[in-house]
Amino acid sequence: MGMKQATYDAIVVGSGIAGGWAAKELTEAGLTTLVLEAGRTIDPAVDYVEHVPSWEFRFRGLRDRQALARRQPVQRECYACDEAASTFFVDDVDNPYTVPDGKPFLWIRGRQVGGRSIMWARQSYRLSDLDFEANARDGYGVDWPIRYADIEPWYDHVERFVGVSGEALGLPQLPDSRFLPPMPLNCGEQFVKEGIERAYGRARVMTIGRAAVLTQNHNGRAACHYCGPCHRGCITRSYFNSVHATLPAAEATGRMTLRPDSVVAELLYDASTNRARGVRVIDAVTHEEMEFNGRVVFLCASALESTRIMLNSTSERFPTGFANSSGELGRNLMDHTMRAGASGVIPGFADRDAYGRRPNGIYIPRFHNVTTQHPDFLRGYAFQGGAGRTGWTRGASLPGFGADFKHTLREPGPWQMSLGGFGECLPRPSNYVEIDPNRKDKWGIPTLRIHCEWSDNEHAMRRDMAVTAAEMLEAAGVREVESHVEDSPPGLTIHEMGTARMGRDPHTSVLNGYNRCHDVANVFVTDGAAMASSANQNPSLTYMALTARACAYVLDQLNRREL
Amino acid sequence: MHRRDVIRALTTGLALPTIDALTPEAVWAAGRAVHERIRGVRQDEPLLVLTDHHNAMVSVLAELIIPETDTPGAAAARVNRFVDVMLAEWFDEDERDAFLGGLVTLDARCVSTFGTPFPGLGEEQQTVIVGALDAELAALRQAELPTEQHFFQQMKWLTLYGYYTSEVGATQELQQVIAPGRYEPCGPVRREASGQWE
Repeated sequence: MGMKQATYDAIVVGSGIAGGWAAKELTEAGLTTLVLEAGRTIDPAVDYVEHVPSWEFRFRGLRDRQALARRQPVQRECYACDEAASTFFVDDVDNPYTVPDGKPFLWIRGRQVGGRSIMWARQSYRLSDLDFEANARDGYGVDWPIRYADIEPWYDHVERFVGVSGEALGLPQLPDSRFLPPMPLNCGEQFVKEGIERAYGRARVMTIGRAAVLTQNHNGRAACHYCGPCHRGCITRSYFNSVHATLPAAEATGRMTLRPDSVVAELLYDASTNRARGVRVIDAVTHEEMEFNGRVVFLCASALESTRIMLNSTSERFPTGFANSSGELGRNLMDHTMRAGASGVIPGFADRDAYGRRPNGIYIPRFHNVTTQHPDFLRGYAFQGGAGRTGWTRGASLPGFGADFKHTLREPGPWQMSLGGFGECLPRPSNYVEIDPNRKDKWGIPTLRIHCEWSDNEHAMRRDMAVTAAEMLEAAGVREVESHVEDSPPGLTIHEMGTARMGRDPHTSVLNGYNRCHDVANVFVTDGAAMASSANQNPSLTYMALTARACAYVLDQLNRREL
Repeated sequence: MHRRDVIRALTTGLALPTIDALTPEAVWAAGRAVHERIRGVRQDEPLLVLTDHHNAMVSVLAELIIPETDTPGAAAARVNRFVDVMLAEWFDEDERDAFLGGLVTLDARCVSTFGTPFPGLGEEQQTVIVGALDAELAALRQAELPTEQHFFQQMKWLTLYGYYTSEVGATQELQQVIAPGRYEPCGPVRREASGQWE
């Protein structure tokens, strides 16, 4: 076994949305920082393919179906795993995991510099005290150790750098960000927005999505040019990801060492100091083993990968996983529940259309269980969706052929509007991950066995999403409204979180209010694993804010010589 | 700003102080140049699955569905080559067999009706046959029965997809723009469209 000894002020595991922020904040504060990324390096000049036209793809955007079936049978369930972007998703054969029979969980992963921040959907929302107080209010999970006031300045901090476009609403349940100008609603969406306003007043509000996509030049990155497929990369760096923004900032300090192809197998525990002294790494290409030492370790590998590393890091002190004296490591897995809603046809606007491919939709912030209690379920959901005119694809289900048919398809089809819910998932210990002793990945590292299913609360919420979306569309004047509740296994929303939760009590939580392990003072977990509840908002903005806040805490502790 | 400098600026970690000067065309051109350098455009390949006879049938059927008008049609877009690649590398074996079987059945039907296989028929007779196939599909839809098993559903879908995602279909018929450069939420319907081009 080759041993490499090197000592850094900080080691950051993962280079995605959380790891990029840890790298930026720690290096800018003066720490020499090693960023370990399990996947390959990304060169925008080669890897970004958003402007490749359909005819240059062998399957014209229909995806390489047979290759996906062979190598990415899980990843292909994500819409973004397309012919251009499937290289940003892991190979399921090399990266296995298991689930019990009849309990599917779709674990969608990206291993490359930038992680899933390359393909993320860019929706960015703050949590509020309605969310931070939720566990304490109804007793599911443990109380968050922080409140909105603790994280608010850190939302400000990351938003100033990221650039979030959106509309300020002044809603208590969805605090406003520091916005760049909002993208506009199109004619169909404006029609529905006004209809909802007439029917519900201020109780239910439709707005444009809050997106980490620039509507004006910002911090050296260019305003969006509305080409559409952000998940394939962005040559003008108009949406936020680690490769565009945080990693270059860290690189500019001269204090970052970024090591791709570095699979972290475990944290190395030093019993004499009760600290992690570093990490054991397997080179993804050569399979060579090496160790790196650091004074502080940030786990930012994604919720389940960070948890997997901790579960695989056993010692006499921590026989069931790193810093797991509470026994909560791996428990309380959550994802947002989705794929229930309604759609219909918007009357009128036959001579109007939108121009440009806006990489964003509409948002209807949570309105249930804000001031009153719904009889069927706890917590809440938001709607996302949008309006648009159908195009030539409708021809496959229309009668006709020949010149007239061709000319019909030249004109846009009807305006359609859809709403789909994104609902909060209760934190429950029965949704959990453990190490599967019988299954190892390509690098010999034991993999996860994931036990997760929706509870009655999520099922009830989904039923309500379908009914309520249909009611709202009809109230707004949308016609031919149809509601739907589709099967959607947990994981597919790709908001998996909660398996190393924050909390006030070391006996019932893994991390404290600064994302630090209760049990080990120099290890921080700042990705989705830390979440004590899921709220219903897309979570990445919160991971960024928590990461920046934890970094500031580390610096404060180092200055006080307490770390 | 020279194009080479644009490309360098766009693909390095440098800030973009001159980004205001970039037109959508420059952004697109830079991105395209980068992508062409690494992808290249595929050259013609020999037919993978279709026999010359079946290739002729597919070519005629596609052109009947999307003919040349004031813009080129399915033949100019080489939809037959797209169908061949899909049959060879995208379809499952049973789906491929079903499609090829559909071509055989179509020929037999032409022989029994007109005494000649499909490619040998005049355009009027071919149009009658395609009209009958399309009417069968419409009847299935009317009865709310599944259409996916019907040969002509597959043929029509492949033709539409192959045509509108081709360079001819996307740039001439749809007049798609890859980098519109702006979002206009509620303008007039225009020929220069920006809907998904795939």
